[in-house]
Amino acid sequence: MSAALVTTAVGSYPKPDYLARARSQFSQGKLHREELEKLERQATEFWIRSQERLGLDVLVHGEMERGDMVAYFAGEPGGRTIEGMKLGGLVRSYGNRYYHKPVIFAKLGWPGPMTVEMWRYAQSLTDRPVKGMLTGPYTMVEWSFDEHYPSRRDAVLDMAKVIRREVEELVKAGARYVQIDEPAIHTRPRQDFDLAIEAMERVVEGIDCEFHTHICYGEVELIYPDMLRLPVKQIHLAFKNTNFEYLKLLEEHPFDSDKDLGVGVVDVHTHLMEPVAEVKDGIRRTLALLPPERVWILPDCGLKTRTVEEAEGKLRVMMDATREIKRELELD
Amino acid sequence: MQTTVAGSYPKIPNRPRPARLRQAIARRDRGEITPEELARAEDEVTIEVIQEQLEAGLDLIADGQVRWDDDQTHIARGLEGFEIGGLVRYFDTNTYYRQPAVSGPIGWPGPFLVRDYEFAAAHSAKPVKAMLTGPYTLAALSTDSHYGDRRRLVLDLAQALHQEALALAAAGAPFIQVNEPAIVHNKDDAPLLHEAITRMLDGVGTRTALHTWFADAAGMLPLLNDLPVDVIGLDFVWGPANWDALKAGPFTKDLGFGIVDARNTRMETADEIAAQIRRVAELVPAERLYVNPSCGLEYLPREVAFEKLKRMVEGVRRAEAVAV
Repeated sequence: MSAALVTTAVGSYPKPDYLARARSQFSQGKLHREELEKLERQATEFWIRSQERLGLDVLVHGEMERGDMVAYFAGEPGGRTIEGMKLGGLVRSYGNRYYHKPVIFAKLGWPGPMTVEMWRYAQSLTDRPVKGMLTGPYTMVEWSFDEHYPSRRDAVLDMAKVIRREVEELVKAGARYVQIDEPAIHTRPRQDFDLAIEAMERVVEGIDCEFHTHICYGEVELIYPDMLRLPVKQIHLAFKNTNFEYLKLLEEHPFDSDKDLGVGVVDVHTHLMEPVAEVKDGIRRTLALLPPERVWILPDCGLKTRTVEEAEGKLRVMMDATREIKRELELD
Repeated sequence: MQTTVAGSYPKIPNRPRPARLRQAIARRDRGEITPEELARAEDEVTIEVIQEQLEAGLDLIADGQVRWDDDQTHIARGLEGFEIGGLVRYFDTNTYYRQPAVSGPIGWPGPFLVRDYEFAAAHSAKPVKAMLTGPYTLAALSTDSHYGDRRRLVLDLAQALHQEALALAAAGAPFIQVNEPAIVHNKDDAPLLHEAITRMLDGVGTRTALHTWFADAAGMLPLLNDLPVDVIGLDFVWGPANWDALKAGPFTKDLGFGIVDARNTRMETADEIAAQIRRVAELVPAERLYVNPSCGLEYLPREVAFEKLKRMVEGVRRAEAVAV
């Protein structure tokens, strides 16, 4: 029987100040890559130790080497660039926030391992499993300009080949869990959902590994229960941000009995620290619908926009709440 | 044939040019400059984007909506009855806006776009059109805890925007464009749109346009023909079914022909654009055509947007040369 209420995190952690400074120096050509990588490893070790100390079961490496989950693979300084991608000019995302939107300018190709070295390093630091961490093909394409492919479908399916190749390398290196994030999957649910699922199938088909996917904010109600067709073992959603309203969706249409549900129990977009009792309440409400063996506990999303202290504080609340629930229910 | 933009212009250029507006907003947020200094930076950037449109060769200029956070909140903040809520996705883009929330009766406290129109007109050698988000789209992209009745909300918004349109006309605006992208995503509401636009533009007296984007108007062209506007803007890039809709006709308005992709950096060639113009000219006479990008240009980096406008103008020139 599998463990109850397994704890993990979604992906990113905040970068310590020294690393943020180093990344900025590196992008201005004032710091060597080896220096930057040394600091990335130092920060990765910090987060591995932090998660061990807090008691998480399945760890993430924290994405100290990544700025943005798409741009890292599309030409961001210090990143690993998929063939056929580059960074474009600045585009506004909202308010006064801008980002360099990636461009697909030629046929996509796998450039050699992009994430394996860092995964291997993180895993070498700990006996607990560390998840491989990738961005899904639909999101990679949806958040980029496409100057090359005649249709989104062509681009997404070629991107699936690239991501699959990377998954194969991660599994070869020993990864037991690979998380493939698709936060853009609800952009065009009516038109494109089948495409996103087909692409994910091509990424994971026949590979012996436990796959998870993270779907962020946005109109989750438009893609539930359709999302259950995703060929992954676990789907995690940002429950806390909507005060567990997604549970209504699960009441109306039961969650897939072959899948695990990842439940976001702390909001990553607020400085406020949730009281343990509030987090416990969310977990209890979830357990009214699903057995504890099929529920994983995590934050709503990556914690990179919080401070180091806030991120650790939120993980601590999450762990305390989970431990208390387990004790109360006499689980393991 | 007239060339123009369909909406916004990218607010900041890329390096080595300075991102003046971004810096000014950041400094205002940190309390390092006053709101008046920020307003001055907005004016400077407005002049800059007007210059770029003129340099690209456009005939009908817009102020670029440099001062607008997005198409919704800028209007909502100018009216009474709104609060501003959390971030939501704008249609199927990767751009977000703060969702206006109607919490009280909609009112018009006085002109909020007139000064900006006058400023733009004073800094443009070519005519400037004023831009408004329409009552239907504004209601569709807001939440409402006050009216509980879409029609009443839309019509109250139409009444408030009517006042603004009259003020713009009184200030000398020769052309008012109303943006209603939401209607092509909810076509069943065309009768409500008709009622609202009729109320909004009643007696305004300028030339008027209604623009849509991100989808086609197939099935609703007869209803759009009935609107009291001179120009209907359609997106032929993200709504290719507009071609068949237009062929099925009749189409009695002037056409805002959205043919340059304002959501992708792939560069159309001037010849490609010219070919599309010749194709559409078989359905709508050239003298009734406005050629413009598929939607606002803010989804593109500034330099790409500028290059696309130049090619669009060149495409029109080539299409006209063949026509003669």
